[in-house]
Amino acid sequence: MTERTQMLKKINEISFAVNDLTLYLDTHPTDSAALNAFSKFSKERTNLLNQYAEQFEPLTSDCICPDTNNRSSSNTAYPGQRHFTWIDGPLPWEGGM
Amino acid sequence: MWLYEKRLQYPVNITKTCPKTAQLIISQFGGPDGELAASMRYLSQRYTMPCRQIGGLLTDIGTEELGHLEIICAIVYQLTCNLTPEQAKTAGFDAYYIDHTTALWPQAAGGVPYNACEFQSKGDAVTDLHEDLAAEQKARTTYENLIRIIDDPQVREPLRFLREREIIHYQRFGEALEQVKARLDSKNFYYFNPEFDKQMLSE
Repeated sequence: MTERTQMLKKINEISFAVNDLTLYLDTHPTDSAALNAFSKFSKERTNLLNQYAEQFEPLTSDCICPDTNNRSSSNTAYPGQRHFTWIDGPLPWEGGM
Repeated sequence: MWLYEKRLQYPVNITKTCPKTAQLIISQFGGPDGELAASMRYLSQRYTMPCRQIGGLLTDIGTEELGHLEIICAIVYQLTCNLTPEQAKTAGFDAYYIDHTTALWPQAAGGVPYNACEFQSKGDAVTDLHEDLAAEQKARTTYENLIRIIDDPQVREPLRFLREREIIHYQRFGEALEQVKARLDSKNFYYFNPEFDKQMLSE
């Protein structure tokens, strides 16, 4: 598993936890344990998304930063050039990740 | 407002072309109990849902269903993206190929186009939540029907994930229904329509 795949797997897992807790908290809005878990995972998710954007490409529009994104030259048609990084990397449905 | 996240909720990596499988799975895109109908059902119902909390739940589940629609489309795409003309003649997929080549188009396994009549938005909280509970169970059954006859583990994995989500959504909608009922008259839940008559018992 490449570093990219590993990191995406972590993002998928943590995002799943955040998503599932969101649905649970919609119907249990004062559950203290769930609130703690949500805060923890949500913060971790934000950090991971930012790290992924710096090393590979942004997964959300909030992570687009032409100056710091995409240090890896393999996932862009514009290596080393300031550009709109949202278009970098594979499309989610292409597979092979 | 929605923002796109450039990843699948659950990864799809299918290496073996199989148009027959694609033609079955496409039902969960545009079929009677598919993800498109699921998403449109919840996102349509939420505006008049009388409890703010449940309007929020419908938004969140309706949004997740859009992600599921994307997983289903990724499966169909990967099963057919390297299709040969010979494989396009596969019984069941051949008719689809004539009209859509290998593009994604929402239809049921039997070829019936996606239709908004697959879901209801009735304007009554009790009615709509029952519709939602039934929808999650119908989708679970459809996933089980698919898993029973599909052998490729690369296809089965994401289908198993999606099946499990139907169960979670059923659980959440069940809780939502209980919350609505708690704010109605327990002697007669049907004394008024909480959406139209704008009545709820105070919490």
